[in-house]
Amino acid sequence: MTITSHVSVTRLTVAVFALCAFAFQTPLHAQGSRPQVSPDLQAKIAAAYEKAQSIARRAERVRDIDQLRNLQAAYGYYVDKALWDDVVDLFTENGTMELGLNGVYVGKKSIRRYLYSLTGGKPGLRPGELNNHIQLSPVITLAPDGQSAKARWRALIQGGMYGKGSGGDWGSGIYENEYVKENGVWKIQSLHFYVKFYAPYEGGWTKAPKETALRYGKSNVRPDRPPSVKYEPYPAHFTPPFHYENPVTSSYVFGASAPAPKGSSAGSPPRTVAELEACVRRLEHEVDRLQSALDVENLNSIYGYYVDKSMQDAISALFAEESTLEILGRGVFLGRDRIYEYMRRLGAPQQGSLFNHMQLQPYITISQDGTTAKMRTRLFVMFGRTGQAAQWGEGIYENTFVRENGVWKYKNLQGFQTFYTNYDQGWARQSAKIFAPFPGYPPDAPQSVAYDPYPALFTPPFHYRNPVSGR
Amino acid sequence: MKPGYCLSAAAAALFLIPAAAPADPVVTDNTVITEDRRIAILQAKLASLQKQVELLEDAKAIERLQQAYGYYVSEGMGSEAAALFSDSPTASIELGQQGVYVGKERIRAFLTHGGEGLKEGEIRESPIMQGVIHVAPDGKTAKGRFRMLVMSGMAGQDGRWTEGPFENEYVKENGVWKFSKVHGYTTVSGSYDEGWHKKPFPVEGPLADLPPDRPPTEKYEAFPSFYLPPYHYLHPVTQKPVAWD
Repeated sequence: MTITSHVSVTRLTVAVFALCAFAFQTPLHAQGSRPQVSPDLQAKIAAAYEKAQSIARRAERVRDIDQLRNLQAAYGYYVDKALWDDVVDLFTENGTMELGLNGVYVGKKSIRRYLYSLTGGKPGLRPGELNNHIQLSPVITLAPDGQSAKARWRALIQGGMYGKGSGGDWGSGIYENEYVKENGVWKIQSLHFYVKFYAPYEGGWTKAPKETALRYGKSNVRPDRPPSVKYEPYPAHFTPPFHYENPVTSSYVFGASAPAPKGSSAGSPPRTVAELEACVRRLEHEVDRLQSALDVENLNSIYGYYVDKSMQDAISALFAEESTLEILGRGVFLGRDRIYEYMRRLGAPQQGSLFNHMQLQPYITISQDGTTAKMRTRLFVMFGRTGQAAQWGEGIYENTFVRENGVWKYKNLQGFQTFYTNYDQGWARQSAKIFAPFPGYPPDAPQSVAYDPYPALFTPPFHYRNPVSGR
Repeated sequence: MKPGYCLSAAAAALFLIPAAAPADPVVTDNTVITEDRRIAILQAKLASLQKQVELLEDAKAIERLQQAYGYYVSEGMGSEAAALFSDSPTASIELGQQGVYVGKERIRAFLTHGGEGLKEGEIRESPIMQGVIHVAPDGKTAKGRFRMLVMSGMAGQDGRWTEGPFENEYVKENGVWKFSKVHGYTTVSGSYDEGWHKKPFPVEGPLADLPPDRPPTEKYEAFPSFYLPPYHYLHPVTQKPVAWD
């Protein structure tokens, strides 16, 4: 299976909710002989059009949330691999970045210099380096005019240098970010990471001196401004300020304030029923794509919960008949029947076993025609066999989905292995080789992409281009 | 192509996009389907689209509410977390094997048990993730499964990993989404230094000095036992329940 990098949907659907202007691209064959519309009918068309516009504005706010989630997920995946040029692309020209207590870097040039300095003067991880920057738990607040937004996120960090330290580092902290929409494209205006802890694997957060947190993001490149907020990391107590009020006591309603955009009408209203029909059909299609984004995210989360509990038959039933499964280095399995066999091979759940398969940080792309979807998502594994062994695992999925008779299913599931490590050692001391095909159970096709897991450096291919620059 | 009279610059960019929606149907007999009838059909379609968008807005609001809960819990802000619940006398919270607390005042007492804020040296990072959200068709209630992964402990002592799902319920009151039920399960909890395979901890039981209003709704044990917290949803493809016999 190959993952094709198709043109970023995010960038091209700019202002797609400028409904009727788009609809009018249909050849106006009837233009010469357009029937006269009675004033009564004209009033009905105008009223329906107004309602369509109001629904479109609300739908656009839903889409804004999806795009902001994708933007921050993309940021995390780029940081993982120190793809600093891609990170910088996500910012506005005068955007700011502040990691930990290292001060504020202002503007793309300054941010680039700073980020390069974190990896020895050039982008990309250094040999043996791990920099997983897991993005979790968004609380996103759109401005009433839909042109800016704020969001709180949590980052969970798995860092380290193979063969050094005590098995790696765990980090945790809070982002409070601001975003703006420029020409219909969401960008980062300010990014502020409050570090809570950055702790050596051995001993963990409760035993780490706060100096390890203070070193997070340290650079010899001088910041443009001192830290915007003074605080001490754990074990001191500091609650990063919330950009939002309590959603219940402040009576938060999503989309409550979506006024008509100022003077940005995309065109004049439809003048015939046919034009109105085209306009409503376009709206219906876009709302359907938003629904699909939710359905596909639910589907992928459900998959993870089934894997937790070894619900093997339920898992294989999530696949289309014509589908593929490729996990780590176990090779490609073709078709739902073979996937069913594969899953059965993994066996039933047992007392004394833990098989947690967390599905995190989705980046979701629904195709223009709404019939297929792609998702990058992160796998985070907790294994356990009581009294014997525990493991951490981390990897990346690039999955595709297809809608059959209105139901979303997996079309291709591909999981890339970053690391599986014994709990007692940690990833920077021990990382399993790529999982080979099951003995005596060969796949239908060999592993489709050759790579080695950590400590080798490998970036699983992205199904999307940079959501801001298209890089 | 003559795009016509209505194009703005932004909309012009759209012409780069291949048409995704099906082509316009050709209406050839407007004596059967009159223009008034066509308008009526469109009005009904718009009403249904508005409903669908409202349900999508609901899902966004619910995710936001759920994540807000996680941030409050992480900071030990028990009163703020309790404020996220409905005022209904049946609102409830149940964590682990601690039993059920019913009504907002009892929920607040439970969430602030041990005091407001974290203790000196305490940490309780509680990210919430992996949502499965289903809003009822009438848009008044919803259910959600989420996962919580907790990094906790006291400075200088052994830390702890804890993980498990929530099966929560939500209600919309005057347009505002609130929790009607929070039910958190513990799948695994273990020592940081030794690992859950060597030193697992049992699910937390009832508070001695603040007994619950009802006993736990389900009796179960954490790892190394196996327990499946029931799914609130059917299998998304087969539409059948998924559970172990």
